[in-house]
Amino acid sequence: MTNSLLFGISIFVYFFSMVLYVSYLAFRSESLGKVATLTLLAGVLIETAAISLRWLESYQMGIGRAPLTNLYESLVFFAWTIAIVYLLIERKFKIKTAGAFVTPFPFIIMAYASLTPNEIQPLVPALQSNWLISHVVTCFIGYAAFAVSFGVSFLYLFKVKAENRPGKKQGAFLGYLPSSDVLDEVGYKTIAIGFPLLTIGIVTGAFWANVAWGTYWSWDPKETWSLIVWLIYAAYLHARITKGWRGNKAALLSIIGFSATLFCYLGVNLILSGLHSYGGAS
Amino acid sequence: MVGPGSRIYTNAIKEVWVPEDKKDKKKQTDFIDAIWGVFISLRMVVILLLVLSVLSIVGTVIEQNKPPQEYYHLFRPETVELLGKLGLLDMYHSWWFTSCLALLALNIIACTMERYPFIMKGMKRSTPLLDEKVEAGMKDPAKIRYSLPLETVEKRITAIAGKAFSAPIVTETESGRHFFYEKGRYTRLSFFLTHLSILIIFAGAITGSLFGFKGYVNINEGEKISAVQVRHGQNKDLGFSIQCNSFNVDYYDSGAPKDYRSDLSVIKDGKEVVRKTIRVNDPLSYEGITFYQSSFGSIPEAVTFEIRGKDGASLGTVVAPVGKQVDIPGSRTKMEVADYREHFHMQDGSEAGTAIGVNIYPPGGAPEGIWIFESHPEMNRHGEYSFGVKGVKLNKYTGLQVNKDPGVWMVWTGSLLLVAGIMMAFFMSHKKFWIRLEKDKKGRVEVTAGGTTNKNKLAFAAETARLIQSFREVS
Repeated sequence: MTNSLLFGISIFVYFFSMVLYVSYLAFRSESLGKVATLTLLAGVLIETAAISLRWLESYQMGIGRAPLTNLYESLVFFAWTIAIVYLLIERKFKIKTAGAFVTPFPFIIMAYASLTPNEIQPLVPALQSNWLISHVVTCFIGYAAFAVSFGVSFLYLFKVKAENRPGKKQGAFLGYLPSSDVLDEVGYKTIAIGFPLLTIGIVTGAFWANVAWGTYWSWDPKETWSLIVWLIYAAYLHARITKGWRGNKAALLSIIGFSATLFCYLGVNLILSGLHSYGGAS
Repeated sequence: MVGPGSRIYTNAIKEVWVPEDKKDKKKQTDFIDAIWGVFISLRMVVILLLVLSVLSIVGTVIEQNKPPQEYYHLFRPETVELLGKLGLLDMYHSWWFTSCLALLALNIIACTMERYPFIMKGMKRSTPLLDEKVEAGMKDPAKIRYSLPLETVEKRITAIAGKAFSAPIVTETESGRHFFYEKGRYTRLSFFLTHLSILIIFAGAITGSLFGFKGYVNINEGEKISAVQVRHGQNKDLGFSIQCNSFNVDYYDSGAPKDYRSDLSVIKDGKEVVRKTIRVNDPLSYEGITFYQSSFGSIPEAVTFEIRGKDGASLGTVVAPVGKQVDIPGSRTKMEVADYREHFHMQDGSEAGTAIGVNIYPPGGAPEGIWIFESHPEMNRHGEYSFGVKGVKLNKYTGLQVNKDPGVWMVWTGSLLLVAGIMMAFFMSHKKFWIRLEKDKKGRVEVTAGGTTNKNKLAFAAETARLIQSFREVS
């Protein structure tokens, strides 16, 4: 299977980009930073080829469908969207140092995916729907935006903590990091991108559920957890927009929000049971 | 005396002298104000959202609405009873969870009322004049002087601004010509969209649960039904019949179902009014009632047995319709097919294939229940007979989810408004931009320009800076 070969290569490329971003943070060499970004971009391109090939191969097998239908496929898609969303944010906000905190995600997720079964399986009738792509894609871009916000918020807390440490001055290193205002702003902006997408993801999911199962909301664990994630980020946005919650509190809520997102995505499939069993490891 | 002292004095008077009847009223309004204050506070909103999320977690850990025996399997009986009393086995419909949702709805209503006047104030058209007051409200208005004729400057600058905004309001005053550009005034209404949409979704959900129903029915191939089973075992009359003309399944090579579909007819007053083949993801709707392909299966209609005596000699074959007692040839013993398992599991967990549950009625004796295995004739010796299964006549049936939800359109309307409102709130803002053209004392053309916005101020500042830079480049 050629798609798995390409996926395998992309794991290594993501690994190198992570190492390069961390080195960039440690050595602060501009050229190292450029190489890090280009390596991540290369990883994305190779993975894009891998996903397209897998899609094509499913057609050659006579069961053509978008590669978004089991745990393996959703993991590689998640890694892919995180890398892309991060590259866009890095370009827009010039926050290359955050890469060291975000690029571990694509690598770890891909490495984990390589441990799960990756055969191309035909679709059960419930998944044969045009809603599949819009539902999965919007949810995962939303998740990816939350992942980037998590990385940036983590960097924010790291920076603020280092700045407040008495005594030892690490001025040069800290000065190299983006200003805490920028980190705070990017942490918010990425949530402002992820929240509407998650909302669309939940609405398309509800619409699809109504067509497939005859009920738009059945409090199945996956639905409930997506609502929990939505409520947490809604609380974040209300606190931020109306009361100007910033800094530590906002960063903390972003971290809690992403932890809930991860549970919604992985925890529910691996630990709880319900209608969304397609994503399970079995 | 005028000054701080007098204020204290009047305050003191107020405290001391309040007529009794008014005092109560005042207390009451204080109380209402206090409650109102709590309701519209951010703390209330954030706490409610977080409490709802924490409560929701509980329902994902304890599986909801399972058959009671599953709970007794998992917990001790007194624990099951306690969980049931606390509403934790159907918590999303419990009084406390519903109350939290009701509080959220009240909170949304209160905040909308509180915000209404401010939003409407923002909706009012601003002055089209770039006067001192407007100028003072801008972050950094630009002043540019040109050594070009007034008409040329006006033409070129308005051409640049016209690319970013739609047509301006132009006003002529003594101080010069004023151009007022505006964009996205209606995005100020995004607050109503995002918040009232939640109420619309709630209203839809309530309408659905009050005036709708969810039911389930199995229809054998070739048969029709006119009622379905809804909650608590009640039957709901549909007002028409639905007939399953045929049912078909395709399988993948792996044995997993690929596609299953029922050819259904709606029959009203003896006439077929609608006919459609439904499958998963493609239901049939008639008179507000929707039929979803949910499951399928088969039940036996009759089983043919070959029966042998003790010596192994055949006594003959028997066709036994399900649920009917038939004679075993050459005796007064009767048999009846009572159960059917496509995959029978033995006590050691191994699978024994198809098994048929049969009741044997010896003359004058107590009936006995036995299992007869299609592929294990050696296990089918019971008393003086041994049974062989010659054939099973199966009837296919289709399992349909049957729903009526008159509130569902409200849910979709609310959802669309919610998404539109969120998009507006995050990605659009109300932008205003003014340009004033005048001649200074020396007769040179002077342009003053600048803008204000209600959101995304940094992005807007960059946008106006670019615009003003192009103004400066006019020559």
